[in-house]
Amino acid sequence: MKSHIAAVALCLALAAGCAHEPVVSDQTPSAAPKAEHTPAPAPAVAAKTAGGNLDDYQDIEDPDQGKEEEKVIIADPLEPFNRAMFQFNDKLYFWVIKPVAQGYSKAVPEKARVSVSNFYANLSFPIRFVNSLLQANFEGAASELGRFIINTVWGIGGLLDPAASKEIDLKKKQPADFGQTLGIYGVGQGFYIHWPIFGPSSPRDTVGMVGDIFLYPSIYLGPWEVWAGSRVFEKVNDASLHIGDYESLKEAAIDPYVAVRDVYVQYRLKKIQHKDGPPPPVGSGLLEDK
Amino acid sequence: MRRPLTALLAVLMILLFTVAAYAGLPQDTVQANVNKVLDVLRDPKLKPESAKELKKKKLRAIYEQMFDDVELGKRTLGKNWNSLGVPQRQEFVILFRQVLEKAYIDKILAYTNEKIVYERETMVSGTQAEIQTKVVMAAKEIPITYKVILKDGSWKVYDVVVENVSLVLNYRTQFSDILAKNKPEQLLEILRKKVKGQ
Repeated sequence: MKSHIAAVALCLALAAGCAHEPVVSDQTPSAAPKAEHTPAPAPAVAAKTAGGNLDDYQDIEDPDQGKEEEKVIIADPLEPFNRAMFQFNDKLYFWVIKPVAQGYSKAVPEKARVSVSNFYANLSFPIRFVNSLLQANFEGAASELGRFIINTVWGIGGLLDPAASKEIDLKKKQPADFGQTLGIYGVGQGFYIHWPIFGPSSPRDTVGMVGDIFLYPSIYLGPWEVWAGSRVFEKVNDASLHIGDYESLKEAAIDPYVAVRDVYVQYRLKKIQHKDGPPPPVGSGLLEDK
Repeated sequence: MRRPLTALLAVLMILLFTVAAYAGLPQDTVQANVNKVLDVLRDPKLKPESAKELKKKKLRAIYEQMFDDVELGKRTLGKNWNSLGVPQRQEFVILFRQVLEKAYIDKILAYTNEKIVYERETMVSGTQAEIQTKVVMAAKEIPITYKVILKDGSWKVYDVVVENVSLVLNYRTQFSDILAKNKPEQLLEILRKKVKGQ
C-alpha cells in the first residue's frame, strides 16, 4: 500500500513538471573529494592513459558529421506528460504484468508459450500481408501468404511454425505494419508520444496502430471485451517470453526514459529504411504493437 | 645478399601498400576476439562461482584488445566531446567503460552455449567495416552487428548494434539530453554514481 502512495506521489510530482529534470544532484557539500568518487580504473587503462596516448583525447570533428545523429532525434514537446506515462507503464510492468507473466510462465512450459506466440503471430497475418502489398513488397506478401497457409493447415492453426523449417524455409516473417507503410510513403514520425499501456509511439505510428486493429481478425469475432481479453493474454504471453529484457534495458540506461525513446526511434527508423529485412521485435514498449 | 634484400622489400611492400591486409580481415579479427570470449566462458576451470572475478579479469583483457575505448567515447559524446576538458574526457572514457561493464557483464556471463553465426562483412570504407552476426537461441535469434575501425594496424570495435539499436547512438541521445541541461561535470557525476550502483 505504501508503495502505491509513493507511486501516486511520484506521478503527481512528474505531472507537475519536474519530470524533465534529469536525476542530477549537485555535488553535496558533504560529498567526498573527487578522487574518491572515481573508482580505481583497471590497471591496464591507467597504464594506457598515463602512457602518453594523449593525442587520442584531442578535439574532434564530428565523426559522422551529425548524419546519423540528426535522424535519430525526435521532437518531444510532451516530455512532462510522456515521462509521467513512462513511470506509469514502468509501475504497470513491475507491479502487474511481470508478476502475472511470471506466474503464468511457471504454470505453462516454454514450448507451449512459444506456440501461443506463434498462434498470435499467425493470426496477425493480414496486417503483414496487406502492408507488404501496400509497400509494393510483393515477394514479402507472397511469402506471408505461403507462411499463413502452411502454418494454418500443417501447423495446427498456427500453433507451430513449419513454414520456417529447413525444408520449406519461409522463415522471413515480414514485420510490416501500417505505421511503417505510412513512413515508407513519406509521412514523418512527427513527435514522440508515450502512451499509457501501449508505450512508445508517434502520431504516425498511432494512426498505424489504429489502422492495424482493423486488420486483426479478433476484432470482428465478438464484443470488444473478447478482443481486449485476447490482446491482454497475447501480451502477457509475450511478456513471459521476454522477462528481463526491459529490466536490463532500464539497468543499462543513464536516463531510462530517454533510452527507451531512443530505442523506439532507432527501431522504427530501421524498419522504414530496411522494409524487406525483418528486424525482430524489441521488448521495450510494454504493450508495443507488433 | 639478394635474399635479405628481397625479404626487406617484401616487408616494405606489406607495410606500405597493404596496411589493411596486414591487419587481417575485419571479420577474422572480430571472430578471433569473440572466440576468445567464448573460450573463457566455456572454460570448465572457471565454472565455479569463486572464479567469477578471475573470469571478469580475463574478459576485461579481451575487451582491451577488441574495443577502441576512446573512439567509442568520442562517438558516444559526438560533438559534445569538444565541450569536455581533456582530463574530463579521460575520466569519461574510463567511467563509460565501467558503466558498460556493469550493464552487460552479467548478460555475457550468463551465456550458455548459444550458437553465433557470422553472416556478412561489409566494408564501409578502407578503414571501417561492419560485421553482421546473430546469436541463435531456442526461441529467438538476436542480430548483433559490430562496427570496426582500423587503428594502429588492427581492427577495433567502436559500436555494437543489437537488434537494430546502436549502443553508441542510444547513449549519445541520453548524454546529449543531459548535457543540454547540465554541465559536463554533472554528467561525470551521474556516471560516477551509476558506476557506484546508486
